[in-house]
Amino acid sequence: MKNPFARGTEHAALDDRELVALAKRDKEAFGQLYERYLEKIYNYVYYRVGNAQDAEDLSARVFARALAHIGKYEDRGLPFQAWLYRIAHNLVANWHRDQGKRKIIALDDYVAHGLKSEAPDRLAEERAERDQMLEAARRLPEDRQQLLILKFVERMSNAEIGEIMGRSEGAVKSLYHRTLLALRDELRRTRTGGESALRENEG
Amino acid sequence: MPDLIERLTAALRDGEDASALLTEAGDARGELEDCQSLIQSLEASFRPQEIRPDFEAELRRELLNGRGARVKRVRPTPARVRVAALLALAAGLLLLMLRRLFGSDAPQEISEEAVATPL
Repeated sequence: MKNPFARGTEHAALDDRELVALAKRDKEAFGQLYERYLEKIYNYVYYRVGNAQDAEDLSARVFARALAHIGKYEDRGLPFQAWLYRIAHNLVANWHRDQGKRKIIALDDYVAHGLKSEAPDRLAEERAERDQMLEAARRLPEDRQQLLILKFVERMSNAEIGEIMGRSEGAVKSLYHRTLLALRDELRRTRTGGESALRENEG
Repeated sequence: MPDLIERLTAALRDGEDASALLTEAGDARGELEDCQSLIQSLEASFRPQEIRPDFEAELRRELLNGRGARVKRVRPTPARVRVAALLALAAGLLLLMLRRLFGSDAPQEISEEAVATPL
């Protein structure tokens, strides 16, 4: 008879629901969930806080909290990752509250892969454009930031995003449209502000 | 419009030509072109980040070794903090060496001189 608490590679074949049930008693099962979701949670946190060090700290706390509370986890039909994202969302919100709302932090190790061989001027220009885009995105409301990260970093479908954000697929689609328009306006404001400051300095 | 934007996003991801969608947008073409530019920029900006293998392994150990609720900071000390600590240590050692070499009378002499100097 197959041992239901078998460890090691057998865990990899289990789905999330089975793993979560095992993880309440078996830490190796939790380890499998950790391996499955660390990268996603880390990326989510990274783009919310803007630097690798805080992303590591907060990701560690997300999994520590998940481990501490997994015994009380109830399957309500939502994917397990929705629960992890909820923990991450709450910890990031606390972090922003502690740091001061809307504080913009440079993306310290935002190094674009594959651009290293290009001319330094072009590299600097592209990096500045990306920083500007990411900073503008981080001035959007939390739900819009979350949507962009899930859609562009995690490459989730609207249905998957809806499960995590507790919205219908149609609502996610509408939110995406509004998010793009808000981002466009935010970038225009940033560029207009930058040009005005430049004119003032020249004048 | 939300549907068109969804299709535009999918087309851009797949490297397909989006001109038919822009035509389909009619009066909203300008808005869709703005969205096209934003989507391309978002695709370029939101890239998956790699996790430090040391961090991943150490956190796994911390969690599975029964100390999950007390996960310590596993990140390395930043380089500038390490340099500052080394400089402070070197300065401290230098000060101690100088005091040993020149004895502890020197500050006393200076102090007496200062008292003897008329205002």
